[in-house]
Parts: sequence; structure tokens; C-alpha cells
Amino acid sequence: MTLLNEAREPSAPAPPRPRPARMTPADVVRVGGSGLRSRPLRVFLSALGIAIGIAAMVGVVGISTSSSEDLDRRLAALGTNLLTVSPGQSFGGGAAHLPAESVEMIAGIPEVESASALGRTKAKVYRNDHVPREETGGLTVYAARTDLPATAGAEIVDGRWLNGANRNYPAVVLGPKAAEQLGVFRAGSGTQVYLGGHRVTVVGLLAPNELVPDLDSAALVGWPFAEEELDFDGYPTTVYTRAEEASVADVQSVLGATANPENPSEANVSRPSDVLAAKQATDDTLSGLLLGLGAVALLVGGVGVANTMVISVLERRSEIGLRRALGATRGQIRNQFLCEALLLSALGGLGGVLLGIAVTSGYATYQGWPSVVPAWAMAGGVVATLVIGGLAGFYPAVRAARLPPTEALATT
Amino acid sequence: MTVSPRPVVELSGVGKRYGEVTALSGADLTVHRGELLAVVGPSGSGKSTMLNIMGTLDRPTTGTVRIGGHDVAGLTDRELSALRASTIGFVFQQFHLAPGVPALDSVADGLLYGGLPRAERRRLAERALRRVGLGHRLYHQPHQLSGGEKQRVAIARAVLGDPPLLLADEPTGALDSRSGAVVIELLYELHRAGTTVVVITHDRDIAASLPREVRVRDGRIEHDSALPGAGAAASAPVPVLAAGEGTR
Repeated sequence: MTLLNEAREPSAPAPPRPRPARMTPADVVRVGGSGLRSRPLRVFLSALGIAIGIAAMVGVVGISTSSSEDLDRRLAALGTNLLTVSPGQSFGGGAAHLPAESVEMIAGIPEVESASALGRTKAKVYRNDHVPREETGGLTVYAARTDLPATAGAEIVDGRWLNGANRNYPAVVLGPKAAEQLGVFRAGSGTQVYLGGHRVTVVGLLAPNELVPDLDSAALVGWPFAEEELDFDGYPTTVYTRAEEASVADVQSVLGATANPENPSEANVSRPSDVLAAKQATDDTLSGLLLGLGAVALLVGGVGVANTMVISVLERRSEIGLRRALGATRGQIRNQFLCEALLLSALGGLGGVLLGIAVTSGYATYQGWPSVVPAWAMAGGVVATLVIGGLAGFYPAVRAARLPPTEALATT
Repeated sequence: MTVSPRPVVELSGVGKRYGEVTALSGADLTVHRGELLAVVGPSGSGKSTMLNIMGTLDRPTTGTVRIGGHDVAGLTDRELSALRASTIGFVFQQFHLAPGVPALDSVADGLLYGGLPRAERRRLAERALRRVGLGHRLYHQPHQLSGGEKQRVAIARAVLGDPPLLLADEPTGALDSRSGAVVIELLYELHRAGTTVVVITHDRDIAASLPREVRVRDGRIEHDSALPGAGAAASAPVPVLAAGEGTR
């Protein structure tokens, strides 16, 4: 032993410990991608699993965003400052009514821009006097104030609105559904309907009103005419109010008491734009469900990637052995397979985002909505796939790295 | 006493056990720079274990292994990887060429873990391919190459960075005799150019044709033609036999 050491001592000094060289990021990605290039079909199929999950989630978010963007635009056009007051139940259980002067009292609130009212009459409207009395067609005759269109957002498509001149005479303005049922297609002196026992001239036709759908099946006559000829009691049944945008909530809180100071609890106050928004909100449950399905699809896609990676590691044992022989460290082998899994799922993620955008814009175009996919949904989709890919690739990558080189090389 | 360059491979008293099975025991072997030798033995003789240990792919159970002067026992797995990247080239019986990858890229991968930029690796790869006579096959994929050509690609990959040690494991095992002869001739050329080449083979004819022959049987070195009294002596004195006997 001594002899051996002495024989070695004079030879060259001990060399420095070998140090592994760092791979450049470009090399890491290139090596990670090399495993994908050689198996395109398998890559396509397992990326497809991820893509379907991401597409489902991006599509659900995109469609519901597009839909609420559409609502927002509609509401912006309609205005969200419309408030309505209607009589509720009286304390005794009977039908309450609003005081006749409630419109003026509401108009007196400083933040109120305008106020108007409809009063429901008991009169019925028919196409002509030969129609049997019971065939009312579900149409309602209202007494309307002349300032109603500005407040309720009613638009005249033909003829004109009730005005100071014709409000005292047998003149009627029909909502679109009412006009259709009564067979009226044009307003004018030649067009008459049979209303409350009178022949009444149709002076105007209304456009459909999304914010106040009641007007669509209404026949509107002048307030004085209703009081004089139709046995109308003169009490408003719905008061329409436009409040200043900034004070809508404040006005809403005092509206009931203002409309009916004696019995504030007997006045129902509502905000029609909220009703529209609430209708929208009921869709959120469905969206949540679909989003959950998307998440499940994504999870299944992740399992698919994990499966692909496990098989890939099993199949490529000899490649792992060769790379170890060429000088790859365990870390470099692990990174190679991790990178491969990340590339695989990122491929699926990008494909899924594109697919989701396509689904969203297709559906939105079909619905006539603006097509909106939020940036956070796209970024979130890609980040989610990277997380899934990292999780799915971690175990196979660690297994590949732990494979002893001799064992890896022994399998051919 | 003159200062001599370190031997490339020094095994002293190396043994390897897998559970109850002794694959190798008491192996002493010194390979000097520039040697061309064969390690020959029937299958199961322990020559593959010797290859794995010389290639630092496996650690011995007993004894000391020095590769390029480094005591393998003192190095971590990371450092061994770096040692392989810089010091050892491998040629395998099964070529280990990735399907669908052009020869140039396969060869360039030989230096992937050596820290050279890609353009430089490819430049060296082209040179190495020309050196093994495949300058006209740079962009051919494995399925477009004959067995002999594949093995020459694999050799080009192994010698790309001019490693001090080339380990060839049954390099002719999967080839017909003509292609095999070409590959052996190529190893000779590398040897003449100064590369240390260790050929592991079961083919006694090939082994006998190389300058030095180490015969392995039943996990022991049975015969080393470089040792005194075994015929042709090597240029450098090898004092390992006595020391090896002593450490057992």
C-alpha cells in the first residue's frame, strides 16, 4: 500500500473537482421539446384533453362576460335611474292605492328629474264592437299622463303621443303587443278600436319597451278622457320616476314615504333595471355549473398529461441512460421531463384559449352580443395549464431522474 | 523517479456485489493515456460491470476507482455526471440514436452537457462526422443509415469533445463482420490519433487483434497481456498486481 502511494505521489497534482456545466434556457426548451416532436399524435391527443378543459372554462367566462356586456350596453342605453312606485297591500289586506297627488309630491324631491304615472282603468279594448266582451286578449287600458314617454323611455314608432289637445278626446296609443292583437298596423285618423264602449282613434304606436314591459300590452288614453268616459278613479297605479344617477339609491329610499306619506308601507318601490340584472343573475348558476365541468375536464386533461409523461419515461429509459452517460445530471434529466410536460400542457392551454375565444365569438355573434373574453380568463387559462403541467410532470420527471444510469441503459 | 502523467483509469481491488451475487471482485487494472485495449469475456463474466464502473455509471462495492485522477468515491452524483461529460465517451452496442433526429444533431448532443454553445457543438459535430467518414450523411436520420453507419455516428458523438477515455461496449455486436471491421479500424484510427480506447467485447478474435487484452471470467481478471510474465509488456510498469493482492 505504501509502495503504491509513493509511486503515485510524484505524478501530476490532483485535478480540480469536476463541475457540471449549466444548460442555457434555450437548450433546456429544445431538449424538452425534442421528446414531443418525435411523437406528434400522442402530443396532440394529450394536449387536446387540456385544451378542451381550458376551452370550456374560457368559453363559459367569455359567454357570460359577453352576455353581461350586452346587458350593460342595453342598460346604458335604457338608463338605470328609472324607479317605479306602485300600491301594495293595505294593512287590512285590501288593495291599496296611491294618493292622486303622489306624482306631484315625488316630482318635488330635489333629486328627481321627472315623474309621471299610469292609472289602470277597468275598461277593455277590442278590435271592434262585434268582438265578444270576454275576449279581452289580456290587454289593459291605462290612463297615461302626457309626460310619460320622457320618463318611462317610451318611443313612438308611428303617429304621435297623447298631448294637450287630444288627451280629452277618444284617442289611444297602443303598445306593440296590443297593436298586433288588435290588428292595428298604422296609426291615423282612419284607424279605430272599440275601447270602453267608445270608438277611439289610434293616434300612435309604441316601440317595444324593455325597461317597462307592461307598456307593450297596454292601450293608453288621456287622463281626463279616462276620468270622464271610462269610470277611472284618478288614482295612479304606477308612478315612474327618473332620479339623478348619483342619487338613485337615496331617492329609492324615500320614494315610498313620499308617494304615500300616510301609509309608506303600502307603496312598492322597485328599480326595473335591477329586475333585468336579476334575470341575468339567474344565469350565473348555470355558468358556475359549466365552469365546474370545465374544471373537471381540465383535471382529466392533467391526468392525461401525467399518464403520457409516465409512459414517455418508461419508453425512454435507454434515452435517459444515454443522456446520463453523456454527462446529464439528475437535475438536468428532471428538468428535461418537467419542461416536456410544461410544453405539452402549455400547448394544450394555448389551443384551449384559442378554442374558447372561437366558441365565445361564435355564440356571441349568434346571439347578437358583443364578443368579450376577459384578459384574466385567457391569462388564467394559460397559468392553470402550466400549474397542471407542472403537477402532472413532476412525479414522472423525478422518477426519470432517479433512474440509475446502468439500469436505464440495460433496457433496450 | 520521473513525473508521469496520471493513468486514465486506475482500478485497484475493485469488487461489485448485487445482493448475494458477486459480479466482480479484486479487479486491478491501469489504463494509460493513449492505450487501446480489449476487455474480453463471456457474458456474465463481469466485463459489463467493469465497463459501468470505469464509466462511473456505477460505484464499486469495494476498492478504489480513479478516472482521470479523480477518486470516484469522493465525488457526488453531480460531479460524476460532470466527469462523464468532460472525460468519458461511450459507444454502445445498440447505438442509442433517437429516431427522427438527423445525424448532425445526434452527434452534437454529445456535448450538450458540456457547456458549449449550440453553434459550436454543431460545428464540432460536423467535423466529427467527417472524421468518421460520414461527411455525406450529416442530415440523414437513423432509419436512413446502415448499422455500420449508425455505429460510426455513435462513435462521432462519443469522441466529439476529444474525451481522454473512450469506452466501447460491444461496438461490433450488432453489426455484420464487414461493418464491424470498419468500426474496429475507426477505433484504431482514434487510437493512433491519441485517444485512449477500451473495447468491451465477447469476441476473442477482436480482443486478440488489439494491442492489449484483458480477459475476465467469473468476476475476476484472469489474464492481462500488459502485465509482466503475461507476454507483451506495456510501456509503463504497472505495480498494481502486488498492491492489489495486498488490499484483498
